[in-house]
Amino acid sequence: MIDSKLWFWTSPVWLLVAVLLIAYLAFARGRSRTQLAIFLLGLFALTMAFVSPVGVLADGYLFSAHMVQHIVLLLVVPVCLLLSLPTKEASKWFDRPRLDRVGRWLSIAAVGWICGVGAMWFWHVPVLCSTAAQRPSVGILRDLSLVLAGIAFWWPIYAPCDRYRLHPLSGIAYLFSACLGCTLLGIYITFYPLTVCPVFASPVDRLGIVNSLYNAGLTPRIDQHLGGLMMWVPPCAIYICSIISLLCRWYSENDYHRETQLISEPIATSGV
Amino acid sequence: MSTELIGQRETSAAESSWGILSWVTSVDHKRIGMLYILLAVFFLVVGGFEAVLIRIQLSIPNNTFLSPEVFNQLFTMHGTTMVFLVGMPMFTGFSNFLVPLMIGAKDVAFPRLNAMSFWMLPFGAFLLYFSFLTGSAPNAGWFAYAPLSTKPYSLGPGIDYWIVGLIVMGIGSIAAAINIVATVLTLRTPGMSLQRVPLFVWIMLMQAMLIVITIPPLNSALALLCVDRWLEAAFFEPIRGGSALLWQHFFWIFGHPEVYVFALPAFAMVSEIIPVFSRKPIYGYAFVAGSSTIILLLSYGVWAHHMFAVGLGTGANIFFSAMTMLIALPTGVKIFNWTATMWGGSIRFTTAMLFAIAFLIQFVIGGLTGVMFAAVPIDWQMTDTYFVVAHFHYVLIGGIIFAVFAAIYYWFPKFTGRMLDERLGKWQFWLWVVGFNGTFMIQHFLGAMGMPRRVYTYADNPGWALFNGISSFSVIFMVLGTLVLVWNVVKSLLKGELAGNNPWDAYTLEWATTSPPPEYNFKSLPEIKSRRPVWDKGHPELADWKSSKTPEDRGRRPDRAKVCGWTFVTSEAVFFVLLLATYIVFNVRHTGEGPTASTALNVPRTAVFSLFLLASSLTFWLSERNLRAGRHSASIRWLGVTILFGIIFLCGQAWEYAGLLTNDIYIDSNLFASTFFTVTGFHGLHVTAGLVALGIMFVLGRKNYLTKEHSKPFGAIGIYWHFVDVVWIFVFAIIYLGVFQP
Repeated sequence: MIDSKLWFWTSPVWLLVAVLLIAYLAFARGRSRTQLAIFLLGLFALTMAFVSPVGVLADGYLFSAHMVQHIVLLLVVPVCLLLSLPTKEASKWFDRPRLDRVGRWLSIAAVGWICGVGAMWFWHVPVLCSTAAQRPSVGILRDLSLVLAGIAFWWPIYAPCDRYRLHPLSGIAYLFSACLGCTLLGIYITFYPLTVCPVFASPVDRLGIVNSLYNAGLTPRIDQHLGGLMMWVPPCAIYICSIISLLCRWYSENDYHRETQLISEPIATSGV
Repeated sequence: MSTELIGQRETSAAESSWGILSWVTSVDHKRIGMLYILLAVFFLVVGGFEAVLIRIQLSIPNNTFLSPEVFNQLFTMHGTTMVFLVGMPMFTGFSNFLVPLMIGAKDVAFPRLNAMSFWMLPFGAFLLYFSFLTGSAPNAGWFAYAPLSTKPYSLGPGIDYWIVGLIVMGIGSIAAAINIVATVLTLRTPGMSLQRVPLFVWIMLMQAMLIVITIPPLNSALALLCVDRWLEAAFFEPIRGGSALLWQHFFWIFGHPEVYVFALPAFAMVSEIIPVFSRKPIYGYAFVAGSSTIILLLSYGVWAHHMFAVGLGTGANIFFSAMTMLIALPTGVKIFNWTATMWGGSIRFTTAMLFAIAFLIQFVIGGLTGVMFAAVPIDWQMTDTYFVVAHFHYVLIGGIIFAVFAAIYYWFPKFTGRMLDERLGKWQFWLWVVGFNGTFMIQHFLGAMGMPRRVYTYADNPGWALFNGISSFSVIFMVLGTLVLVWNVVKSLLKGELAGNNPWDAYTLEWATTSPPPEYNFKSLPEIKSRRPVWDKGHPELADWKSSKTPEDRGRRPDRAKVCGWTFVTSEAVFFVLLLATYIVFNVRHTGEGPTASTALNVPRTAVFSLFLLASSLTFWLSERNLRAGRHSASIRWLGVTILFGIIFLCGQAWEYAGLLTNDIYIDSNLFASTFFTVTGFHGLHVTAGLVALGIMFVLGRKNYLTKEHSKPFGAIGIYWHFVDVVWIFVFAIIYLGVFQP
């Protein structure tokens, strides 16, 4: 019984997913199979963040589920979106002066860092956290801002054009400091003796599942504990994976000339 | 083609001689490196002697050779000595000696700072060991768990000596690490891109970075313990509202990465030795280097696995367990790299190689028992037993000390110009293999049988006497092995075979110069086109750069003053983060009597004074800009204004303090007062230090010594000054505005 209640099949996120998919298929010419797969993975993550029990429980029941949703929106979906952009087509887009200006602005490390880490901290100020969970309009604003902040955060690492990317070593410092940022937030939430997000401490039980959650051991105290740990450990694991990718990029960059030559040459794509 | 580097450096008369004074006054990285190593060896003997006493006491059940008090002091001093006076200086010594040579530099980036870093160490050691003369050496374990280490439970001065000694040594270690970071980043010879540095250099860079961020948590904890013990605060006294667990958190935030501070150099050493004696380049350079970076990043997130038994909650245990298992991956990768390097190589079983191979095997055993401890239930069962003792001795001796022995045999010819005797070396090797495994392997079983650690004796339980006897008896082999090493060193120094430049036909730049190297290090350097320049020079037809390309050096080198500034500030930032965390922990919810931030502080007044501090950043920036543009007098004027603003801010703080003290709010009043005075006090101290630095610059400027050419060091002071201001923004937000209050 509970299982069916935990899925929200009629979520409006489907609309967004459909629009994104159509836009991608229409505009992202020259994409490779891998890029399409990454894009679909991103859409899947986005859908699951709202349709699956994570989304349902994040809606006022479990702080830890809210954290999972938060991480997916901020760290997973934006990476997938950026990595799915076909390099050649994207560099054509960003040759236009206006878009190039945006690209360059986003490539400033401080901008991305403040957006990414700031979004994490900002939405956990107790008042904002509760309001976002109670009012759908603020909730949508939060979710949207998380995805956008995520794009800004990952831009200096995975921007489709090389010129917007940080040097790999600077990228490592960027990600490591972000990891410290979310570690501090995670520690704070985990060990904070009071409720960080009051709405989760006394959920409005519209689905009639609170008791079964409590019986399963997910009391508000433990829930917040888990939420803090979710903010602490998985994001750092994501950053570490990304750092590994940067290290690979750094060690495999042969000489500079070859690299620039590769960029100027048309890259053959398998096309889908 | 070679880069001529012939002696541009002035050689003073004192440095060219070999008298004691020349060693004391030396700023040459090689001599300082050797001083570090000699000091480490001396304390290895001292710490080893303490271990021998411990093992004599434990050799038979119900022994009364040592009293419980002396036993506690000995295991505390043994641990502290081995960590801070053997491990840290040993690796800093090797790093000091070898890193500049391997990157083709003439010295480290800051030679005088280097000498200061070293001399802090004997000073700290003296403080630590002086405690024996007071009759109460530290006795709370090397981890000094609170509340045992607080005043009510440790009245004597032992812990105080421990605290001060560790702070002094910690400052020296951070300074040395900053030096290594700056050296590697700024002084590499042309052609040596960061992707081409020898693995030793890269891993030591990672280790230095790790020291920079890992010592400050210890310093924070020590500072708090100091305030507890000397000023009667109660950070770590649960009975007065403090938290004993906070000490454990802070200590292990330092303590766990510290394990990697030791492990990384051992990895660095064997990563040089195994390829040379396998006659092959390292298998998977990028994997070894990259995984060291990952270790650096992950090591900071696993400290709580030392605390599974304190009741952090199932969630925390699971996450930390997973993280701990994760960190085994980058370490495990290296084992495969080293094994694969040996695979198919033409291996020369020199003493150095034998020690390196034994390192591999024993480190794997220590690592695997470490992974066992990552499983929470096993940890609960085994924690505080001899299984733990066996585990970390397999890592620290079987792994790390064996790697150090390998390194001694490998680099001794470079250090002294003479070879160590291989026959004696093999005697030492086998004595140590037998002694080490005999002593510690059996302790796994003792631990599994339930023998607790840190207890001065044990009952005559079945099997315990025999196993302990074997363990204690085996120590004799290690002692004999050490004597063989000492004899070998003395004999080789007197009449050892001459080494020549490159006795092992090795690959990296230190072998391109004479043994021992001249003071200026190199007469000429081979061209750097790959990771093995000396190999390329000796075997041009098989040169690495012909078969495998590595990223070219683009010649970019950051300014050393800037690197120093940023690294120092990073270290200080960690220190303040922990102090501020302490404030948050104790002030989230006001419980009990006494003042609080909202009742005791005058926020608007402090806000006004804060504006002066923030404005001083702006004025400093103007001063710096004018200096760069060559407008000397304007620069000095703005510098003067900066100092004035800083002083006004300090006056504001003094006013605040005076107000609190007249209202009978002292540092020991309650936890709010303790945290408030500690955080703002340390910040004030930093502002004062900044003002002293700015004052020196001001005086130099007035005498026209501060010119455009000095804008970079001036900028480094600026980094510090801006940092102090940024810290204040956080202090003000957290303490005065109470952003974390509900």
